Amino acid sequence: MSEQSTPGTGTRSDVMISLRDVSKRYSGADAEAVRPLSIDIERGEFLVLVGPSGCGKTTTLRMINRLVEPSGGEIWVDGKNATRVDADELRRHIGYVIQQVGLLPHMTIGENVGLVPKLLGWGKDRIRQRVTELLDLVGLDPDTYRSRYPKQLSGGQQQRVGVARALAADPPVMLMDEPFGAIDPITRGHLQDEFLKLQARIRKTIVFVTHDIDEALRLGDRIAIFDENARLAQLATPLEILTNPADDFVRSFIGDGAALRRLALLRVGDLPAVPGVGIRDGVEVEPDETVSAVLEKVLAAGSDSAVVRGRGSLTVQDMLLATAVRDESAVAT
Amino acid sequence: MSFFDYVSANSEIIGFLLLQHLQVVLLAVGFATAISLGVAIGTERLPRVRAALLATSGTILTIPSFALFGLLIPVFGLGVAPTVLALTVYAIFPILRNTVTALETVDGAVIDAATGMGMGSGRRLRIVRLPLAWPVILNGIRVATIMVVAIAAIGAAVRGPGLGELIFRGLSRIGGANALNEALSGVVAIVVVALLLDVLFLLIGKLTTPRGLHV
Ligand SMILES: Nc1ncnc2c1ncn2[C@@H]1O[C@H](COP(=O)(O)OP(=O)(O)OP(=O)(O)O)[C@@H](O)[C@H]1O
Ligand SMILES: [Mg+2]
Repeated sequence: MSEQSTPGTGTRSDVMISLRDVSKRYSGADAEAVRPLSIDIERGEFLVLVGPSGCGKTTTLRMINRLVEPSGGEIWVDGKNATRVDADELRRHIGYVIQQVGLLPHMTIGENVGLVPKLLGWGKDRIRQRVTELLDLVGLDPDTYRSRYPKQLSGGQQQRVGVARALAADPPVMLMDEPFGAIDPITRGHLQDEFLKLQARIRKTIVFVTHDIDEALRLGDRIAIFDENARLAQLATPLEILTNPADDFVRSFIGDGAALRRLALLRVGDLPAVPGVGIRDGVEVEPDETVSAVLEKVLAAGSDSAVVRGRGSLTVQDMLLATAVRDESAVAT
Repeated sequence: MSFFDYVSANSEIIGFLLLQHLQVVLLAVGFATAISLGVAIGTERLPRVRAALLATSGTILTIPSFALFGLLIPVFGLGVAPTVLALTVYAIFPILRNTVTALETVDGAVIDAATGMGMGSGRRLRIVRLPLAWPVILNGIRVATIMVVAIAAIGAAVRGPGLGELIFRGLSRIGGANALNEALSGVVAIVVVALLLDVLFLLIGKLTTPRGLHV
């Protein structure tokens, strides 16, 4: 057997975006907007950059599609050194949702969404079909909105068009700068759900900027937390960040209620259930439901336990304690 | 002879000169527009050159038109050429200034988004910046046109075409038969030309402003 165990080669090809000691100092500024930063983002990964205003999130994002030239370091996208390829060509394959939305005011919503496909030379019918599909996806009725102009839409609707536009040519990489910032909490939650479902299906490599830690915890496979001095305070999974905040900054950034937030991330299938279905009666739930959702159901039903399909039953106390136990074990390691 | 009798008796010559006047003005504004757009676009990466040209074209406006026409005689002789040239030079400043301002003030977020989509600078100019700047540019062209309609009358001093001829001839023989009527008919006709052109620009503006900008 010619088992070649060259460490790194296997994982290397799975890295979609590689930031290598990337830094940025704007001319005239005395502090670095981005301190030397190294992150490997895997193909299909959803990375969230989170931190207070001015910590360099937008700058980091814009260095990936070269709207900002790095002062130092290298950026590799899909195995190519991004600074060595044609910038326009690079950008046509990276969807970019800019913080200020930036729809072209003289073009209709349909024309805005169809712009990159047009630049890529798609045929008219294919573009039209794609626009319909995308407007549906972001929850805007294509018949109503296709021929409207950006000024005729609310801020939140414009943001959704911005997301549709970035998705238009089905780019493997998406850079999203606070794409849900101007949207009310309810619609935002809805869009986040939709987006997670979409992402589960299309598996794009996404770098997503927000200053909302809840949004970050909800969406990210991994989260990079920056402090106000542009220092990378922690890069880890949501659960790890809630369980093991790296320092006081991270702790204060998460704020109160880390334990409760964790309930929204843990799935009941991961908890040790008591086998023996039917011994107790309880609310029936699926293993991939989150602990907080299940608690909600159980309490709402006036019950005190849940039956996890194929696993066993869990009492309210089991669920609360299980997370507490994880907490201790996590702290101990 | 009353003014109206004078005009109806001389309607043919007045109409002819009016058309000539219109032609000279449109020709000059056309040249000035082409030059201004060329300069504004050509100097995007040369801010100093741009500022210098803008200042120069502004300074030219302060030269009394009578003097400018006179100064052009030794070089271009008499007639159409010096008139069109002088009018072009006057028309450049309002158009150039508006073009530069309009291109510079297009919303940065929109340009960022366009760049991020992979539009090069040529496409950005053609697909995004010029259409968005157009209403302001057009307004510059309109101001330049109205201004030049009046200045064109002075062209008659160098035997230029247009309605100035009526005014100059009338004034030079003031006291003579119908002298005042002749000068007055020139003035009124110029006002008519100015009004006509203003309406024309209103129409052009309505027809060419991208719909999304005035919804
Ligand atoms: N074009 C620029 N020229 C000079 N300085 C800039 C420029 N863009 C950003 N900066 C500075 O760089 C730092 C990081 O800015 P950046 O926009 O990346 O922050 P951010 O994390 O996206 O903030 P926010 O959450 O407010 O959007 C800030 O101090 C900002 O003032
Ligand atoms: Mg930002």
